[in-house]
Amino acid sequence: MVDVSQHELVPEHTVLDDPDRVDEVLAEYNVSKTNLPKIKSSDPALPEDAEVGDVIEIVRDSRTTEQATVYRLVVE
Amino acid sequence: MTEAEYEHVTADIEAVVEDTELPRRLKERIYETIEERGPIPTEQADEIAQATETKYVDTRVDPLDPVGTVSAQSIGEPGTQMTMNTFHYAGVAEIDVTQGLPRLIELVDARKTPDTPMMTVYLDEEYATDRERAHEVVWSIESTKILSLGDVSTNVADMLVQVDLNEETLIERWPTVEDVDVVAAEIAETIEDALGVQTQRSETLIEFGPSEPSYRELLQLVEELRDVVFKGIEEVSRVVIRKETVADGDEEFVLYTEGSAFGDVIEIEGVDASRTTCNNIHEIYRNLGVEAAREAIINETMDTLEEQGLDDVNVRHLMLVSDIMTNRGTIESIGRHGISGSKESVLARAAFEVTVNHLLDAAVHGERDRLDGVIENVIVGKPVAIGTGDVDLRMGSFSAQPSDD
Repeated sequence: MVDVSQHELVPEHTVLDDPDRVDEVLAEYNVSKTNLPKIKSSDPALPEDAEVGDVIEIVRDSRTTEQATVYRLVVE
Repeated sequence: MTEAEYEHVTADIEAVVEDTELPRRLKERIYETIEERGPIPTEQADEIAQATETKYVDTRVDPLDPVGTVSAQSIGEPGTQMTMNTFHYAGVAEIDVTQGLPRLIELVDARKTPDTPMMTVYLDEEYATDRERAHEVVWSIESTKILSLGDVSTNVADMLVQVDLNEETLIERWPTVEDVDVVAAEIAETIEDALGVQTQRSETLIEFGPSEPSYRELLQLVEELRDVVFKGIEEVSRVVIRKETVADGDEEFVLYTEGSAFGDVIEIEGVDASRTTCNNIHEIYRNLGVEAAREAIINETMDTLEEQGLDDVNVRHLMLVSDIMTNRGTIESIGRHGISGSKESVLARAAFEVTVNHLLDAAVHGERDRLDGVIENVIVGKPVAIGTGDVDLRMGSFSAQPSDD
C-alpha cells in the first residue's frame, strides 16, 4: 500500500487526544463539536488510531499565510 | 527570527517590523524590499511597516461580510468571459483536456467522472532520468490491446481467428521479460481467460475458433478480442511522455495519460506516489481523502481560470468554494443536488431551483421555516442577518458623570 500521508496534496492530520485542547479549540471558535467540518472515518488520510467523535487537527500549507490549522470531526 | 540573512536589515528594523500584525510572508517581503533598496534609517522602516500594516488590516474581511455572495460574484463575472466550448489540444503534450466554462461547471457540479480524465504521472528518480526505464512505466500504464501487438485475421475455411504477434513489439512492450515465447504464452492465456476459448500456439502465431462452426460467432470473437487488455490499465488509452525541466535545472520525464485510474497508478513500481495527480477530484478523494480533494478542487479551478487569462480572481474565493464543497467530509456539488439543495430553509431551496417541488414537499411534510437565513428574509421583506442587517443599535441616554478619580 502507498503511504497516503506522503502525497503533497495531503496535509498533516493528527488526532487531538487531549480533551482540554478540544475544549480550547471549541471555545476559540465558539462552536460545538458537531459544528466543525467533518471527515469520514473511512478517509484514507486519517491516522489509524482515529475514532468516530475524535477531533482531528489538520495543518495545511496555506496559500494566503504560512500555515493554516483547521479542525475536522470524525464521523461515520 | 530572520537571523542574519539580510545585510541591510538591522536589529532595530527587525524589531519594528516584527512588532506589526503582518503575516510572515508580508514581513519577509518587507525585509526583501529593504534589502534590495539598500540601507535605510529605522524611522523610515517603521513608516513602511506601519503603512503596510494599515493596508493589510484594511483589506481584511469585516465581521458579517457576505463572503459567499462576494465569491459568487467574483467567480461569476470572469466566468462570463470564458469560452463556452474549447476542444483544442491544450497546454501539455497534445492531450485533449476540457477547459473553460465546461470544465469549471464540471468541477463545481462534482461530476463523478470528468469529460476528459487525465493523469500527470511523476516518476521516481531512477525512472525519471532514464528514457528506457521511463518507458517501462509507460508500458505498465498504457492499456495494450491486440491491434498494437500484431495482426488479426480470420480464416473462414477453418473457422479460426489467427493472431500473428509482432516479435519486436513484444520485446519492446515487455522489457522485463527476456523470452518472447513466455510473452506469447502469456498472451495466449489472457485470450483463453477473457474469451473462454481454447488456443493453439506455435511461436508467435496464436489460433483459436468458436466451439461450434459459426461465422457469426467467429466475427463476435474478433470483436471481443479487440477489447481485451493485455497489459497496462484498462482506463488509460494513451500515455504521452515528456521531458520537463524541474526547479533546479534538472530534467525529468513526466507522463501524461489520457484516461485515469489514480488508485492503480500510484501502486505501480517507478511511479512517484507523492506527486502524481489526476484531474478527477473523486479519485483524489477516494485515494487521498477530503483534505487532498479540497486542495485538488482549488488547484483545478485555479488552473482553469488561469488558462483563460482570468488569473486575477483571488484564490480565497476558490478556497471558500472548495471548503464548502468538502465541509461534510465528502465532495458535494454546488447546486440543487448538493449544497443549495440541502439548505435548512424551505424558502431558500425553493428560491434556487424547482420551486414548486420544494414547496409541495415542504407542505406535505409540514416543514417549518425559521427565517434565519438571507434568502428567506429577502423573500419575506425583513432585514437580512448579514452586514449591518445583523447589528442592533439602541438609542438612549446616559448621564455623563465626570469620573471622580
